[in-house]
Formats: sequence, structure tokens, C-alpha cells
Amino acid sequence: MNGADTMSRNGTTGEKTGTDFKMVTFSLGGKDYGIDIMKVKEIVKYSDYTYVPNAAPFVRGVYNLRGEIISVIDLRIMFNLPAPQSSGEIQEGLILRLAGGDMGVIVDAIHGVVSVSSENFQPPHPLFGDVNIKHVSGVAENSGRLYILLDVEKIFSTEEVSRKPEPQVPTVDVARTKERAPAAEDGPETAFIEETLRTFRSFFVGPGNREWYRSRFLEWKAQRGEKDLQITSPAEADLFLASFYSTDSGRFWSRELADAFSGLLEKPAGKTVTVWNPGCGKGFETYSIAAALVEKFPDRGIKIWAHDIDLLAVSTAPNLVFPQADAPEYLRSHLVQGKNGYSFKSAIKDRIFFEYHNVLHDSVLPELDVVVARDLVSFLKDADRKKLIEEFHERLRPMGLLLLGTHERIDDPVRWKRVENKGVAAYKKIQPGVEGENEE
Amino acid sequence: MRVEYINPFVESAYNVLKEVLDCPVTRGELYLKSASTPVLGVAVLVGLAGDVEGRVLFDMNRATAVAIASTMNGEELQKLDELGKATITELANMITAQAVTKLYELGFRFDLTPPAIFTGDNMEVSTSQVEALIVPMEVPQGKLEINVAIRERA
Repeated sequence: MNGADTMSRNGTTGEKTGTDFKMVTFSLGGKDYGIDIMKVKEIVKYSDYTYVPNAAPFVRGVYNLRGEIISVIDLRIMFNLPAPQSSGEIQEGLILRLAGGDMGVIVDAIHGVVSVSSENFQPPHPLFGDVNIKHVSGVAENSGRLYILLDVEKIFSTEEVSRKPEPQVPTVDVARTKERAPAAEDGPETAFIEETLRTFRSFFVGPGNREWYRSRFLEWKAQRGEKDLQITSPAEADLFLASFYSTDSGRFWSRELADAFSGLLEKPAGKTVTVWNPGCGKGFETYSIAAALVEKFPDRGIKIWAHDIDLLAVSTAPNLVFPQADAPEYLRSHLVQGKNGYSFKSAIKDRIFFEYHNVLHDSVLPELDVVVARDLVSFLKDADRKKLIEEFHERLRPMGLLLLGTHERIDDPVRWKRVENKGVAAYKKIQPGVEGENEE
Repeated sequence: MRVEYINPFVESAYNVLKEVLDCPVTRGELYLKSASTPVLGVAVLVGLAGDVEGRVLFDMNRATAVAIASTMNGEELQKLDELGKATITELANMITAQAVTKLYELGFRFDLTPPAIFTGDNMEVSTSQVEALIVPMEVPQGKLEINVAIRERA
């Protein structure tokens, strides 16, 4: 009858008919509950799930389970049990495998797996308080403890949900199906897209790129219509971001861009022009910068620090080999032909330090004349982005030049002066208080 | 850290470990660390000077150190005695020296300082303003981490 008896008869648990049912047990509001182990995909500790705006209170958000987006439901709130609202803490829970797809639930604490005999299930007593009786498939006893067995299929079935006062389809479609007022520009729809861009591509919409984001959002909305608005995969996130990336991103700069950049450069103060190129990737941009500088300042030394956190990309950069056709005309005089294709002469190569480096970590750089960081700060968290732009300001010499991505901007006229040449905008460092002396 | 420096360290660590221990060696994913690093219990430090400044730190727990020293000496050591320490120090020296030789062939001039071994619990190492490249290695004797922090001489 009880667990102890089963043990003594069988010697082991779970071997014979005595225990034909396994359940994962956990506590909610101080009481013990169980869920059929066949419905449990895994036990997890949620550390960082994404809040979904305007969802029902028991929907804590969406969670990225190895690339798959699932909704996370707080069972305690759903059952009107006390739930500590401590956000940011690691919370225990389960991933359930349901007919309608996987779903995450949060509980107070997971206990373990208990084997019981299904014969001993007691039907739920109609006076059960906390949990709606429809959600309980029975009560099981083990080692003197009573477990309330939850019928998760019933709890999370869509028809059940649709009868609830707050209609809530607990999948990622939440925001799509939900009725809401036609969105203003900053309505919940865009908030949701912002979230998915962050989840899939670590792209952060912020003051520096909101202008682009707004126009892109409207364009996206016009293309896709209300129904198909949300981004549901990394590929769609890429599609959304396709127009964000700067001109000549991931390839050599065109003559026009190189000229425009060149035109923004001022005569360097020292004998050496120092450049920082964080987020250099495979180095196409870095070589373009080097060539532009060599042409503009043939009598100066040039030193470029090119950093990237993508080890594979930056590893290929020092010995970048490519077909001649990939290099625009203006670069050709700097190339040498090798066995597998063209690469840069050492006169260019020797001026660049390609480093495997995380820009958020400390580094040692001299005072800089130029920083080229295109499409980098948009992929950093708000605090990190501020910190890095602050670092650019600190490291640049007065009137030093900062080139951001085509769709990135800084609105800080006290510290950064916006300059433009042939459609390419950049920022010059102003040292508050001394800008008058540095203006020419 | 310049990408040209990375491979020599990874390769020589792999080659030397494979040769002296005569067993399969697995390399883990490389990554960068900036804050102070806890040391597992036995750490060998080799300083680098020349074109650059920096250091290489070999870090493992005591059991791994004893097991590796035992294999290298062909006898079962019970604890990390003088012989064991000398053996681990020598291993670090061999790996670093081979890496520096490879770098020399690529045109980078590095000098080594004599290795120093540290043992103890709850140790931490911090190198201010230089991030460290971590090369995790796994051998049957256990795990060791090679922690390389190098910066260009300004």
C-alpha cells in the first residue's frame, strides 16, 4: 500500500507492478504536487527569461531553450498561491511536453521523482481549495506524504484557456493573437520585436539606433501586415536587420566610402596615426582603413588595433586571402599575388594588430586619432554601450574621429560634434570647455 | 592578444602534452577572461618579455598535478613532493619554450623568465588591464588550463 511496503516486498522500487507510475514531485505554496513523468521533458533552472508585455499575470515570459522559444507559466500565480516576485533570481521549474507543444512552468522547489502505484490513486476531494478541481487527476501517497497529481494537459489545453476571462494562448504567438489597440509606434508590438531581436541576434534597440528601428518597423509592418508581424526565428531576425548593417559591411570598402572617410580625417597631431577598429570581423574593413590612411598620410606612421571576439573570424584576418575581383580598384596597388589568391603587402599588414579581444574587457591602447566601430554598439546591452562610447571618448585625442554604423548615432552635442562628408557621418570628440582651442 | 600568438600556444600545449604523457589530449573551447582568475591549487607561472610583456599560467588541481607527475616520472607519486613540483614546472617550461620557438619562427621575439610554481588553496591571480586567453586542455589525468595574458609593449 505505501512506499515502505512496496520496498520490502520488491527489494527495489519501480521494478514490479507495485509501482507503475512515476511522477516528478515539487512544492507550490508549501504543499506537494506531482506531474506524470511522461509529460516532463526536463527539469530546469530558469535564470533569464524574457518578459512579455501585456500578457496574463501568470505568464512570466518566454524562455530560450537551446534555440527553441517556449512560454513560461508561473503555476503559483495561476493557482492563486503566494509567489515571491523576486525577479532576477534563478527559479526552479519544469519543461513540459504537451500535446500543444513544449511549455515551461515555474514552481517553488523540485523534490524529485517518486514511483507510486496507479491503483492507489485517490480521486480528488471536491473540497480541494487552492487548485481548481478540474486540474487535479488524483491524489497519490508515498512515504506518508500526499501528492496532488496535476493534469497538465487539461490545465494548459487551449480550449480551457479560451474560456478563461483573460484569453491567453500560452505559446510565443501570445502577442500575435492578442487583441489590442492599433499599435502606436512604441506599442506592444514593437516592444515584442525589440525583445526577439535581442534574443535571437543580441541586437539592442536604444537611443543610438531607434531612428532606424522606427522606420524599419513601419516598413516591416507594411510588408508583413498585422498578422505576420512578429519575428519567430533567427532567420527572420536577420531579415529584419538586413537593412541595418552599414554600407560595405563584411567586405572591402567601396572607393566612395573610403574617399568619404578620408575626407573626414584631419591632419594628425603626432608622427603616427593611431586607429582602433573594434569589431573588425575578418578584417576587410581594417584593410580598407589602412589603405585609405596610407594614401592620405604617406609621410606618417600608421598603427591600427583591430579587435574582435569572434576567434575564427579574427584568426583569418592577418593572412586574409581573396580573389582579386573582391578588392576594389583603389586597393589593387597594395596587393600581392600568392598561391591561393591575393593578399595585402606587408607595408599594409605590418601596420595592423589583429587581436582576439572582448571590447568590454580592459585593454591598453595609446591615445587614438580615429575609432571605427561600425555596427558594434547596437549589439551591446544598454549599460555596456554607454560604457564603450564613454571609453571611445576617453581614448580619442581632442577632435579625434569616431565612425559609427550608418544607422547608429550619438546625440550628445556637448561631447561629440557631428560631421559629415559625402553622406557619411562621423563624430568628433569635444573636450567640454576646451573645444574653442581645438577648432580650426 | 594578437591572434598570431594564439596558435603557437595551443599547438605546443597539445603537442607537448601528447608527447610526454603519451595519451589522447582534448582541447576545449578557447575563451577570454578579464577579471581575476581563481587558481585550482597548483599553478606554474612563466613570465614573458621582449617585444611583449605578459605571462603564461598553467593551472590544475593537486590530484591532476600528482597524476601527471607520476606519468612523466614513470612511478606512482603519493603527493606533490619536490620531484613532483619539479616535473610540473618542467612541463610548463617545455610548453612555453616550444611556443616561444614557434613565435620566433614567425618573427616575434619573446624571452622567458624561469618558471615559478605556486601551490595552495583559494588562490587567485589577477593581471590588471590585460585580458587572458584561456586554453582548457583535458588529459586522462585530469584538466589543466593554460592562461595566457600578453600585451604589446606600449
